[in-house]
Amino acid sequence: MFINRIARRTAYVLLLLVIAAIFVTPYVFAVMAAFKPLGEIQSGHAWDLPKNFTFDNFTTIFGEYHFGDYLLNTAGVTLILAVGQVGFSFMGAYAFARLEFPGREAVFWGYLMMLMVPNVVTMIPLYVMMSKAGAVNTYWALFLPYVFGTPYTVFLMRQYLLSIPGEVIEAARLDGCSELRILTRVVVPMARPIIVTATIIAVIFGWNNFLWPLIATDSNALQTLTVGIANFNSNFAAQWNLVLAGSLVALIPMVVLFVVFQKHIVNSVNVSGASR
Amino acid sequence: MTTDTGNRRRQRLTAYGLLAPSLFGVTVFLAVPVILVIAFSFLRWNLLNAPEFVGLANYVDVFRYEGAGHALWITVLYVLLNIPLQTALALGMAMLMNRTGRFTSVVRVLCVLPYLATPVAMAVVWQWIFDPTNGMVNTLLSAVGVTGPDWLNSNMWALPVVAFANIWQYVGYNMLFFLAGLQAIPAQVYEASSIDGASRFRQFLHVTLPLLRPTLLFVLVTGVIGSFQVFDTVYVMTKGGPGKATTVMNQLIYTSGFQGFRIGAASALSVILFLIILAVTIAQFTYFRKRTVYEMV
Repeated sequence: MFINRIARRTAYVLLLLVIAAIFVTPYVFAVMAAFKPLGEIQSGHAWDLPKNFTFDNFTTIFGEYHFGDYLLNTAGVTLILAVGQVGFSFMGAYAFARLEFPGREAVFWGYLMMLMVPNVVTMIPLYVMMSKAGAVNTYWALFLPYVFGTPYTVFLMRQYLLSIPGEVIEAARLDGCSELRILTRVVVPMARPIIVTATIIAVIFGWNNFLWPLIATDSNALQTLTVGIANFNSNFAAQWNLVLAGSLVALIPMVVLFVVFQKHIVNSVNVSGASR
Repeated sequence: MTTDTGNRRRQRLTAYGLLAPSLFGVTVFLAVPVILVIAFSFLRWNLLNAPEFVGLANYVDVFRYEGAGHALWITVLYVLLNIPLQTALALGMAMLMNRTGRFTSVVRVLCVLPYLATPVAMAVVWQWIFDPTNGMVNTLLSAVGVTGPDWLNSNMWALPVVAFANIWQYVGYNMLFFLAGLQAIPAQVYEASSIDGASRFRQFLHVTLPLLRPTLLFVLVTGVIGSFQVFDTVYVMTKGGPGKATTVMNQLIYTSGFQGFRIGAASALSVILFLIILAVTIAQFTYFRKRTVYEMV
């Protein structure tokens, strides 16, 4: 009985170690490769530690190619997109959840219908609209379609705001608080968890977005990391030292984000899953 | 009375003000494009010449000349390679790791890490790992005496490798939904069925699965919707090749629209994809409405 328990425990631990290895090794091996010269990647194994540790791959992609621009573009677009998307979605969500106005149900139904529109459907018309407006290949094109808020985020935040007690808002209103003050001083602090969740969703979307930036830009000065990596990868195929270093420039910030907000990301599943 | 109506008026104005930005965004960047994509699908247009109305011709031509039938088949194949395996693995991992303890919770968190990984960047890493000469997979295979294929240039293997990349990225994330679902099942339900003498397997079949049905549907439907729109990994890993072995709908829309500038054909393809995704979503809603509600005591 006792031996049996030890055997089962050992099997469990081993199985979990294998699972953990499957999800972590691609990162670890890519990091190690990014610090090796090309020759060492070609001759050695992925799991060998770098023998001739070098930063050259990174100095090359930042110095001779445009990864500095790509990184700045992605960071800038992600920041603008996240601030706008979260702020404007929150405003809309508050109106739907807590304010009375004619047409509320009809407009909300409109949002729900738009929730079902997949991203790809809008790509062709967005490109045509942007090119007619002369906005293709500008920063504007990169964030305009997403900066005003998304139906999903509005919906997510509305569900959350419906669950906070209305008495607090009524009390503030009776005290003569203006609607704007109620929003910033009473509602925002109570809604902090959903604001963090929406921000994480927006940051992941902005950082990883690929198809639209690929369509909307065609110059190095404006391209985002994802587009830059994809182009660099087609031009420098098999120069694994450089393309893997380039990929890490996109991957590492997301790993940091994950480590910092790990608890919140795991918990946010309950929020988004329950509201569907 | 007057202050009350004044209050209402003020609230109404505040509401419209707060709603304005997102309403503008949803209208201009979602509703208008949906109308436009349908309108464009009736045109022959390359953005340079004057558009010509051709009725439903694009919907016939995309199947005749653009390879829409093949792309639909590849997309469905991709979804089938992806979703059943991913869902089963996510459920299995959730059941395995549905317990307390520091070690378990650390491993659980590590499984979710890929959810944030930039798909384009990961596609590059997978290209390296599946490289025929330098790749880790073939190195390991040759160690046991097997000569691995040129994965991404193989008609047979390219699509499964792309599907694998997707499963790796989202299986841990889906596991979280199952974990939440499992934890919502009260322990008494299991105790009762144990007293009734139900075996572990029968418990899984007759207790766990029925109670997880809402979670299962959510995971399946969001997964299917996402997989129908796969693009990033395909574009980076294979560009739709070898030949057309991984040309999914989205890849075809991209090449028709933005390399061929056949706006009408690409729009028709988008509408077809939209209708399929919509059908899946509607199927979800009807299924949800019909599902039995299990009241917990």
